[in-house]
Order: sequence, then C-alpha cells, then structure tokens
Amino acid sequence: MTGVGATVMHKVIVIGLDGLEPKIVEAMLKAGELPNLARLRAQGGYCRIQTTYPAQTPVAWSTFATGVNPGGHGIFDFLSRDPQRYLPLLSLSRYEQKNAFVPPKVVNQRRGTPIWELLTQAGLPSTVLRCPCTYPPEQLQGRMLAGVGVPDLRGGLGTSTFYTSAQGVKAENSEKVLPVEIRAGGAITTQLLGPRQPKGGDFTVELCLQLDLPGQRLLLRADGRPEPLEIKVGQWSDWLKVKFKVGLFQTVKGMVRFYLHRLAPTFEFYASPVNFDPAAPLFPISQPPEYAAEIEARLGSFYTQGMAEDHDGLINGRFDESAYLAQCQLVLQERARLMAYELDRFSQGLFFCLFDTPDRLQHMFWRFGEPDHPANGKGAPPELRATIGEHYRRLDGIVGQALSYADDRTLVIVLSDHGMNSFQRGLNLNTWLYDHGFLALKNGARPGEADNDDFFRHVDWDRTRAYALGLGGLYLNLCSREANGIVPPDEAGAVKANLVKGLTGLRDPQRGQVAVTSVLSREQLYTGPYLGEAPDLLVNFSPGYRVSWGTPLGGVPAGLFEDNVKKWGGDHVIDPALVPGVLFMNCPFKAAGASLPDMAPTILAALGVPPGPAMEGEDLRL
Amino acid sequence: MKILVIGLDCAAPEILLGDERLTHIRRLMEIGCYGRLESVIPPITVPAWMCLTTSQDPGSLGVYGFRNRSDYSYDGLTIVNAKAIQELAIWDQLAREGKKSILIGVPPSYPPRKVNGLCVGCFMTPNPATVTFTHPPELQAEIGRLLGDYPVDVKGFRTNDKAWLKEQIFAMSRKQFQLVKHLLQTREWDYFHFVDIGLDRVQHGFWQYHDPQHVLYEPGNPYQSVVSDYYLHLDQQVGEILELLTDETIVLVVSDHGAQRLDGGFCVNEWLVREGLLVLNEYPTAVTPFNQLDINWEKTKAWSEGGYYARIFLNVKDREPNGVVDQADYEPFRDELKARLEATVDERGQPLGTLVFKPEEIYRTVRNIAPDLIVHFGGLYWRSIGGVGYGAIHTRENDTGPDGCNHAQYGGFILAAINLPLQAEIRGLRLLDIAPTLLELAGYDVPGSMQGKSLIAGLALDALPASGLTAAEEEILRERLSGLGYIA
Repeated sequence: MTGVGATVMHKVIVIGLDGLEPKIVEAMLKAGELPNLARLRAQGGYCRIQTTYPAQTPVAWSTFATGVNPGGHGIFDFLSRDPQRYLPLLSLSRYEQKNAFVPPKVVNQRRGTPIWELLTQAGLPSTVLRCPCTYPPEQLQGRMLAGVGVPDLRGGLGTSTFYTSAQGVKAENSEKVLPVEIRAGGAITTQLLGPRQPKGGDFTVELCLQLDLPGQRLLLRADGRPEPLEIKVGQWSDWLKVKFKVGLFQTVKGMVRFYLHRLAPTFEFYASPVNFDPAAPLFPISQPPEYAAEIEARLGSFYTQGMAEDHDGLINGRFDESAYLAQCQLVLQERARLMAYELDRFSQGLFFCLFDTPDRLQHMFWRFGEPDHPANGKGAPPELRATIGEHYRRLDGIVGQALSYADDRTLVIVLSDHGMNSFQRGLNLNTWLYDHGFLALKNGARPGEADNDDFFRHVDWDRTRAYALGLGGLYLNLCSREANGIVPPDEAGAVKANLVKGLTGLRDPQRGQVAVTSVLSREQLYTGPYLGEAPDLLVNFSPGYRVSWGTPLGGVPAGLFEDNVKKWGGDHVIDPALVPGVLFMNCPFKAAGASLPDMAPTILAALGVPPGPAMEGEDLRL
Repeated sequence: MKILVIGLDCAAPEILLGDERLTHIRRLMEIGCYGRLESVIPPITVPAWMCLTTSQDPGSLGVYGFRNRSDYSYDGLTIVNAKAIQELAIWDQLAREGKKSILIGVPPSYPPRKVNGLCVGCFMTPNPATVTFTHPPELQAEIGRLLGDYPVDVKGFRTNDKAWLKEQIFAMSRKQFQLVKHLLQTREWDYFHFVDIGLDRVQHGFWQYHDPQHVLYEPGNPYQSVVSDYYLHLDQQVGEILELLTDETIVLVVSDHGAQRLDGGFCVNEWLVREGLLVLNEYPTAVTPFNQLDINWEKTKAWSEGGYYARIFLNVKDREPNGVVDQADYEPFRDELKARLEATVDERGQPLGTLVFKPEEIYRTVRNIAPDLIVHFGGLYWRSIGGVGYGAIHTRENDTGPDGCNHAQYGGFILAAINLPLQAEIRGLRLLDIAPTLLELAGYDVPGSMQGKSLIAGLALDALPASGLTAAEEEILRERLSGLGYIA
C-alpha cells in the first residue's frame, strides 16, 4: 500500500504507546527488531514529535485530545494547588459536593474541546479507550472507557495493602500494612480495606486465608463467595469481587487482585488497590455507562483503575521485578484483548486505544540499563536489562495486530506522548528557594527537620515569596491570589526574573553537571483561557535530573541535590525538548516541527471534519 | 441553623422508608435518623400539621378535624380555617427571635397566615383565581408571572376519571415544587415549610390499584404504578431541593399521618339506628346524607358524623336542645357505647378491631366542643359512613366518592443535619416531638406551650466542621495523591 495522502478516510486508528522512547525505537528499528513499526514507517513515515511543557502523561494526552496547549485545556501537571490553603491537589478531576445532603460528583478538570466532541457534532462515532483525563467520561457518539485519573475505591490513584507476619513493618508510600497472626493449622483472619468511613476508619470485608505450605499456595475465602480463591506463591490471583457495606442501605462494589510473595519464614501477601467494579462503579467510568459492564461480560474482569500497574508494590519491596513484570503483562494482555474486541466491530470514525505499560515498565526498569544508577545498590540482575526491549517487541506485535484492521481508507497513527530518560538525581526545589531567601520557615525550623516532608508544614507564608509544588512548577506567593500572598503584582516580574536567573544553569556540585536547563514563565509557554491556573514558572531539567521526591507535595528536605535510590529510576519530567515522543503514520507527512497539537487537526481532517476553532496545530499529512 | 421541612401529606412510612429506589430519601436516611412517626388522634391533615408545628394535641388546639361543632345545636359542623388556630407555632418562635419563615400549603393556611416572611395558602383556599391566597398579597402576582394559574388542590379528586386525576395531581405538584425551588433560591429564610398535598390525593385516588391486599385490587391494572411513581416524583423533587441547600440547614422530610388500604365503609348511623340509639321518624328509601334524615331527637341518644373516622355525639339533657341522656347517666352510657363500638364486627362476624377514644383521656386539655367519642373503625381500615339507607352496616361504597385508602396512625420522618448526633432508626417518636426537636437542633428556645419532647434532649450536638486542615483531612489528601508514582 502506498501512502494514503491528504484524502478523506473513513477510519482513523490511533495506538497510543505511553512513554515510548525514540532513541530506543530508532535503535531497534535499525536492528530490525520492530517489524510492524518498520512497515508503518515504510508506508508513511516516522519522526520524533515534540511533547508538551511539561512532559507528563495527562498534560500531553490532553493536548493530543484537544489540539491546544495546556493553557487551552487546563491540565498543567498531575498536581495543582489550592492557593487559599497552599495544598497540593490532584489536578485531573475534582469532587464536588454542594452540601452534606447530596452525593459528591466527580468533574473532569480537562477542558477544551476534544476530537470526539467535534466528531460527535459531525455525526461520526469514536471509540476511545483509556485516554488519560477522561474521568468521568463525557457523552459522545460511540464508546469511551476512562483511563489515567480513575481512582481506586479509596479515592486515590492506588492504595495497596501488605499483609505480613513480620513485626514492626512500617507502611511505605501508598500502602497500608496489616500485621497478621497465623493460627494453628495455618489459618489467618484479616481484612480487606475498602473505602474510608466518613468519621474515621475504613469499611472492610473479612478475609479468611488458609495457608498450604506443602502446596505452596493459600486458599482465600471472603463472604459471599462460594468457592475459595486459590493463590499460588509467586503468582497473581484472579480477581476477587467484594462488596463493602458502607451504610444502612448502601454497598460499594470493588474488586481486588492478590500476589502471594511467600508463605514462610515470614508470610508476605499483597493486595492490589481495590478497583471499581466495572459492573457497578462508584463513579462513572464509561460512556455509555453500561459499556464497562459489557466489556467485563465479554472479556472478563479488568483493571478499571487509571494507573493499573502496581509500581508502589515494587518500590516498597512487597514483591520483586518478576512479579511487577507479570502484572504489567496482565495489564498489557487485557488491553490488547480490548483493542481487538473493539477493532473487530470498528467500521467508521476514530479508534483510540492507549497502552500505558511501556511508561510504567520503563519507570521501574530503566535503571538496569545504567550500571551507575544509585538505585542499583546490590547490582542489577543482567537479565532485567533486556526487559524494556522485550516489551517494545510485544508492543510492536500489538501494532501489527492493529495494522491488520487498516484498509486503504484507514489512517493509522502510532504515537507516544513523550519519551523516557534517566532519573538519578533529584533537586530539592523548595530547599533551593529556602537557601536563596525566597521561602522562609517558621520558628527557626530547618530544612529536613521533623515533619517538614510535605504540605509546607513549617513554611512562614508571611515571609515567603515563592514555593515549588508539583513536578517542576514554581508559584509566587502573590498578593490577592494566595491566601497569605506577599508579592505585590508589580513586583512579580522582578521576583520571577530573579528565580529564572538563579535557577537557570544550576549545577549539581557533586557531579559537576548542569541540572537545570531552563526556567520558563507561563506566559512564554502557554496561551488560552486557563493560563491563570498554570504555575508561574516551569523548571526544566537535564537528563538524569528531576525534582526530588519530596518536592511535589511541598516538602523542604535537607540538602539541595540527592541521589534517587528508588526503583522508580527512569523518568521523563525533564526538559521537554529532550524527551520527544514517537510518531508513525501510514501516510507521508510533514515530520519537521511535528508537535502534539498537530494530531487533532490531522485526525479530524482525515475524517473530513474541520479543526475546532481553538486548535493550534495543522494537518500533518502531505 | 436554618430549618427546611418538606411535608408529604399522607406519606406511608412503608414506602417512604422502604422503597430503595428513592435514592435521595435514602441518602438523607443514611446521614440522619428516620423512623415511623406516631400521629395524633385523629390522624387527619387538619389538625395534624398544626399539631406538628405547635406541638399541641388536637384537644389543646380545640380542633378535632376539618369540621367542628361550633355549638350544641344539631346544625352540623363548621369548617375550620387558619384563623381558628393561633397557638404558638415554630414560625412564631422564630419571629420572636427576629427570623423569617416561608410557609407553602401548610394546612390550614387560608386565609394566608400573616407570618414574618411569606405564606402561600393551602388546598383549603376556595379559588386561587379570585381570592388572596398569599401573604404578603404582592407575592400572588409573582407566582402568577412564574407559574400562571397556581393550583392549590385538584378539585373533585374523588373521581373515576383516573387518567385525568393522575395528570392533574402530577401537574399540580410540579408547579408547587417549582414555587418551592424559586422561593428557596430568591428569598431569605430561616424556616421553610412546604406541604405536598398531591401525595394524599394520589393515595386516595389510586391505592386500590397499588396494594395487592386491597379488596378492589386487580393484578396488572393500568394504574398499578401510579402511587409508587408519585413517590419517585417526590424523591426527584427532594433531590433537586437538596441541591439548593447549604450545610447549615436542618432537613426534615415528614408526613402528618400514614396511609393504608380501605377494606370498606362502616355505616355508623345505620348501626346506631339498629342499636336503637338513633331513632328516625322514617327510614329513608334511598341512601340519604345524615343532615337530610328525619330524626326523632326526643328518642335519639347518639348520632355520628362520618369521614375517615367517626365522631359520636351524645344527645345530653340540658346540653343539646332536645337532649335525652341524663347528665348522671352520661358516663355509664358513654362507657357502654364505647364497649359496644369496640365489639363491632365485619360482614363475617369477625371482630373489626375498632378503637374508641374519650377525648379527655387522650388530650391534655379539651377545648371547644369535642366529640363525645372518637372512633377508628377497624383501626381505620374501615371508613365511617354517615349516611343512612344502605340497608346494611357494611358497604364497599363511599358516601363521598371513590376512595382507595384511609389514613394510618403512623406517618414517617427523616431528619438530617450536620450537627445531628443521631444516625439510626428511631422508634417511638411522636408528631408533637417534631417542633421541639427542630427548635432545639437549630438553637432556638422551645416555648413552654409545646407538649412534645425533643428527640435530642440531653444529647450533645455534633460539632460543625472546623476550618483549617485537620490531621484526618491531611491523610485523605495524601491518600488521594497516593499511587501517583512521581511523588514520595
């Protein structure tokens, strides 16, 4: 087939591969390891595509969907802040509750006009699977299953539970730890933690575990389930559906998957975050609302949580790399099944399916490609180095499957939102602000002391001119915007100029490298109705650097730079110019300057629909 | 705290608290307390709503039903109006403390009550097109601009034209709720009380289609879902109202009495004739209303007014014009009559379970002219028929038109407020307990005239949410962000 050219298509198939890194793709193409992507490149073309500022999944896919820069859709970071309380908030959606008498409603914070809305207006259907920032799904002609942003049953992006017979195990990030007692005969009675109770505590479901040491397995019983669930050592269980009685009249349904790490000498057992039940989600996750139940009925239970991969279980050491990899494969397989199920009946309009696992896998396995990575303390098993490449080959197979659904009136696009890079060193941005007099602490508190780890706990707002929150954002403590703002509007420019001057080119003294490539103001980066919600400045990092772990939620740790010793050793929140994504299309296109806002006009034009009035890019097809 | 009362006239607790499809009601039950609510005797719209708002029993109000004896003549009863009840109500206590009330359709409210705030007349308003039914009168024009004709009732609701009736009742209720939502949003208020009369009308008109135990019930009939559809409509309206509130509101959804199937009519005067206590000069050849009967008062010892319940009057010497019962015989005779009424049976000779009350035994005081006995035939599964000429004691007819249900002694309530320290089903609450409960919860003084007991007496109120970030909120915030991966 030759390039399809700038003609009107009847189908557009977009396969999103989150975080696919051009350097790896290009090397593997060269080595002939990605035959389907190579075929696509031959049919049309390939290029690196400029990502958004910042290079983050929800920001980039929102720009993909709406064809506008973040100033036009309002997603600037995973995190935003409440200027009245100086608190970090999840930026993707918010819960609105008018008063105590009505239930909360979830509101998608991604604004702008997405492709599928324009297609719906033009009478064309869309199938949109797992696009970030589609929670709750909007009405459209076609079907939608929400992606990144869908929480677990406790309302966060994922809180897991670790059950152990060991004493004194402390809960790490995003988890609960429940000590268990093994009774004679190997029986354990414990609880699955469900939604929080309004006045404290958790709603729970009782779990009865029967350990079978010789069989290297356990049998799990939960009320309402006639047959026990068998869970083998070193394996992920099937889904367990659970019902939490959350009130006199209300039950909330969820589902959970377990991983049995070991039975002895200490019992170590992991429960995934409790996902919404597709048949009875706590808040809508699909459009039409019953669509999620249909998928489950046809294809089996699936992860409904937006970030399905249990990276915190690996970071916290609750299971090992092979378990994490196995879980990523489960996610990948169910997504591939869903893709095929929908492509089987897809005949017109837009098809979009996002595969998140390359991003989540690379975050956790990147370090194995770097012998000097601080997280590789005990030396990395060499076989793990091959994991990322192996994953890319699997994705190439999925692309091949998608290509089989394309005819000569189908535009096929394979796209990543950003690339991936190394994360070896973190910069404590708030500590830098403290060191340079932009941020003050109360009562003689010092960085790194006591509970200075988040929520700006000891920040003296009456003496603070700037603070860092999120993955690289800086905010001025501006009069009449922040609750205790002290920077008058007419001095804002000078404060910003000082921050830019002080941070640009900042060096990591230990490594002698430039850590910060640039600091850009929101006016330089964004235009549009939501500009006012953006951080005042965005700090861009060199490869290998990022904001430190303590920075995003408002911590002021000790020291300026720190080694990243977490297994989350790869990241992409660096200078966006240095982490472009990949773009393949089955038609010739203008590769030079290709940027994410070009995708919406390209897709719309391919389907004969004019771009939305705010859209900034252009139809890339030649 | 502000107080919002959503009155659902005649709401049956079995449905109100039992139908899980009523999601907004369920949510209120979930966050507050709820239960059956024992009404007054008689459990009738007038005086029940006034008993609720004044916390005084019917005897203390001197109002024993819509119609009351104004003297000891035989000239029948006169219809009560709003002016007849002037006892201190919730809104009067609020007015004393400088607070504003809005009353919409709280019976009796014709002529409209001159409250500190607004009042819109109830279903007893003669004709909203020709009389002033609002206080202040200017409000009437605003209602006209907003809604056109404002219906206070469905005239002639005891009809066999059920399709018409259904449409009329729903349309009336929608308009009334539209007014409620309009005033909730455009006026300042501290006490807001609306009574939906449509539910009472729907249940009287359609209960026989709804309740499989009703003698006239036919499975698969076309009006089977009208009653439950109306509850769904109310739930929807309640949901829309809840959206308009602030946290500083006490919400009460309440009925003045319940509803239950009507097994038939007990012809009480027919029975008195047979017992030799009511003597006619001539037994009528056709069914004849009581006030058109040719009665021999010189030989009559007792007569009755019909309705949902019976009011028995004794013809007492020196009290009634032609009284025959000696004052000295009054009590023995009344006891005997009470016993005979309690022994009444159905067509098959089975005891009816009739309840008979002496006013002075059930009321704290007995003002104006009370009936000598108040009778609930068959525990109100039977209506009281006042006419004579049926040739039988029991009838499936109704002398005032078709009727599917009677009132039940227990209504229902749901009370929700952020400072309410009770989250549970409550047993034993009585209609008169409502006013002191609302006043105490909202922080007002409870007038000494109120007879009920506050549900929250002696309980510490829950604290209102504190401002500032609590440790629990911090944890919730942290958990909401957890699992993100990019953060520590």
